[in-house]
Amino acid sequence: MSIPALGPPAGRAAGSVLARRNPTVKLMLLFVVSAVLAVIFDPVTPAVLYVLAAAAVIASTGMELTRLALLHLPFIGFGLGVFLVNALSRPGDVWWTAGPLRITVEGLSVGGSLALRTLVIGVLAIGFITSTDGVRLMHSLHQQGRLGPRVTYAVLAGYRMLQEMPREWQTIRHAHAVRAPLRPDGAPSRSPLAFGRGAFALLVISVRKGERMALSLESRGLGLSPRTTWRRVPLTGADWAMAAGVLGVLATVVVTSRMLGHLRGVEALLS
Amino acid sequence: MSSTESALRLDDVCVAFPRRPEPILRNVTLVLERGEQLVVFGASGSGKSTLLQAITGVVPHTVSAALTGTVTVNGRATTQCSVVELSRHVGTLAQDPSSGICLPDVEQELALPLENHAVPADEISERIDRALASVRALTLRGRRTDQLSGGEGQRVALAAALINGPDLLLLDEPTSMLDPAGVAAVRQAINTAVAAHGPAVVLVEHRLDDYAGPDGVAGLPARAIVLGEDGHVVAAGATSDVLTEHAGRLHAAGCWLPLETELQAVTGFSGGLAEPAVRQGLRSHAPPAPAGDRAAEPVGPVVLAVDDLAVSRAAWVPRRRWARRRRVREAPEVPKLLERVSFRLRTGEVTALLGPNGAGKTSLLLTLAGLLPQAGGSVSGPRPGLVFQNPEHQFVAHTVRDEVGHGLTDAPPGRVDDLLDQHRLAHLAEQSPHRLSGGEKRRLSMAAMLAHERPVLLADEPTFGLDRRDTLATLAALRSAAVSRSVLFSSHDLRSVAATADRALVIADRSVIADGPVLEVLRDPVVLERAGLRLPPLLQWLLLEFDSADQVRAVLSWLDAAPAVVPATAAET
Repeated sequence: MSIPALGPPAGRAAGSVLARRNPTVKLMLLFVVSAVLAVIFDPVTPAVLYVLAAAAVIASTGMELTRLALLHLPFIGFGLGVFLVNALSRPGDVWWTAGPLRITVEGLSVGGSLALRTLVIGVLAIGFITSTDGVRLMHSLHQQGRLGPRVTYAVLAGYRMLQEMPREWQTIRHAHAVRAPLRPDGAPSRSPLAFGRGAFALLVISVRKGERMALSLESRGLGLSPRTTWRRVPLTGADWAMAAGVLGVLATVVVTSRMLGHLRGVEALLS
Repeated sequence: MSSTESALRLDDVCVAFPRRPEPILRNVTLVLERGEQLVVFGASGSGKSTLLQAITGVVPHTVSAALTGTVTVNGRATTQCSVVELSRHVGTLAQDPSSGICLPDVEQELALPLENHAVPADEISERIDRALASVRALTLRGRRTDQLSGGEGQRVALAAALINGPDLLLLDEPTSMLDPAGVAAVRQAINTAVAAHGPAVVLVEHRLDDYAGPDGVAGLPARAIVLGEDGHVVAAGATSDVLTEHAGRLHAAGCWLPLETELQAVTGFSGGLAEPAVRQGLRSHAPPAPAGDRAAEPVGPVVLAVDDLAVSRAAWVPRRRWARRRRVREAPEVPKLLERVSFRLRTGEVTALLGPNGAGKTSLLLTLAGLLPQAGGSVSGPRPGLVFQNPEHQFVAHTVRDEVGHGLTDAPPGRVDDLLDQHRLAHLAEQSPHRLSGGEKRRLSMAAMLAHERPVLLADEPTFGLDRRDTLATLAALRSAAVSRSVLFSSHDLRSVAATADRALVIADRSVIADGPVLEVLRDPVVLERAGLRLPPLLQWLLLEFDSADQVRAVLSWLDAAPAVVPATAAET
């Protein structure tokens, strides 16, 4: 083929197996796993899935364990919160009590399930985000996900604006600080009000720029049909194999869990 | 769509905006054949941009305005087809490279118009190469768009506008936001690309002095129209004829004009600097050469002392303590933009800060204003004020009045009104700062900063993007601010610098390479070479012709202030 495919950009995870996979396929798999997990309410099934998912992400991205652990923090925090709320507030057989606090068996089970679910989705999201280039994702969503060109390129233009925003924000903050009163230590004061003014200025400037960019996109003929596509994001056998593998493992775990009597669905909430 | 259709035809076009009582364009009639080039002259606000919008179909499709008459592009009435549909025939290059480029990579940016026009995929790569080659930017193909300079960005945007071979190319102030090197590169790119593709061209540009370049009037499109203040076409014809006849009117309207036209407007003679009568006219406005050494002008005391200052952008990046401790040995040296910077600013003096793009002029000003931490050395003196390149970055309030009063704690009553009057903003007091024109925004940003009465005023490219009238007003404001202050401003416009500044501070090669009386600095070929500064022809001639700074400055200020003379049509024929 004479036209080179749109591969992942050179970078940290560029060479990894997961980075070479089709972004739309990865995103769809993330959705399917999340959807299946949404109706599972026992702790064992998501625990097994979490171990498998974490192993798969480490193997396919080659990520350092410390980095993976660090990226887990928000999910662990959220999971812990969900776990505690359920353990302490869900009615059922009391397992432990101290003063006004009581923890139920059902609470532990459902809370644990929800917390582990958070971690499964979390680790998969980490794998997806660290291995996927935003530009390639949009092109792939356009080519394989049937996303319209207007939406695709509007998002890509927004991405470009986002690249320039930190610099713009820095300049606005500087420009506002010139007239700000000084704190006792000599630095310009930075009040929440000043922050709001800066945000407003950034908004005005960005909206203007967005209008001009929209005109530029129109003047480039965005929205004409028919249109062609130059460099394709490849969709290969390896992508289908990955999809089949992930769905196969998911089905196997769910079925085995059911056979062993661990699996519980929505009814777990009603007991 | 037959080949006999004109590329562009306007018939009796009027455009009126809903909330303005007067139409902005009136009865504009114009025909442009394929391959013909047209330049549109007119003062700020005369409807030049609206004319381009009416051609692209943005008026009336995107911007709500009443359009009467007909605009046809390649035989298609713009009212009958959408802006996107018209893009099959029209390429547009807008003024701001940061919003004229939409995608993160140069390659994708150029592929987009081809994909939209359904060019077969296997032809796209080659056409990208051809388009980039035609704007002399082949080496940019693999670059990310956020790393392009302004001039590079404009060339990529021009390639994208031309890549589908449009019948009509619209250039909307394509070089007004570029530094001199960028202007030259983009001008050459436009010339070669237009020669290669052969579209009809409509150019709107207010820095016509820079845009015309060394060729002068011959460097402009061959045909011209002049839009009057009321939106009528007041002249049309060959560019040199139009300029000869209307030089005075355009000059009086505050337009930037090619040098020979400006000289004709004020001396009454055509022919530019090569013409003896013009030279004589200029000479006659210089005072006699002073006998002997002139006594040094009295300047005030030092208000800002800069000693061995180092400037770094990276210094502000917050470094986590634990990270620094852990990797203390491998911590990279913070790269310094400037080192060993020492100079003094005195009350009553205007100093120009010169240097190539990226030399660190803005970072130096930010450091002096206390907004970037010093990476070494010291700055001693009271807190300076700073006016930013883009006035919008400074605006904090919702009305002009509040903007001027912002941060004033113990101002006497009436102070804000005085400032509004002084800076000709009183009639705009209740408007939103973001809705003002470019010149008004600049006046407001200066007034708001001057309200703080800081003994040092810093300004970053304060005349950038302004028309001639607003540029002169801004320079005059800097000059009068210096009566009770010290002023330091950065600029690329050496003529303005020579006319306004007392001293020049030149930075290049990571330090100060010259600091002295402005004309002495500008006479030093080594300094000019190292800082990448190129003297405009007028200044070059003046520096050769006159020895004393007073004489040079007298001629420049006479030129800036001179009323236009009535065209000497009789003398020409």
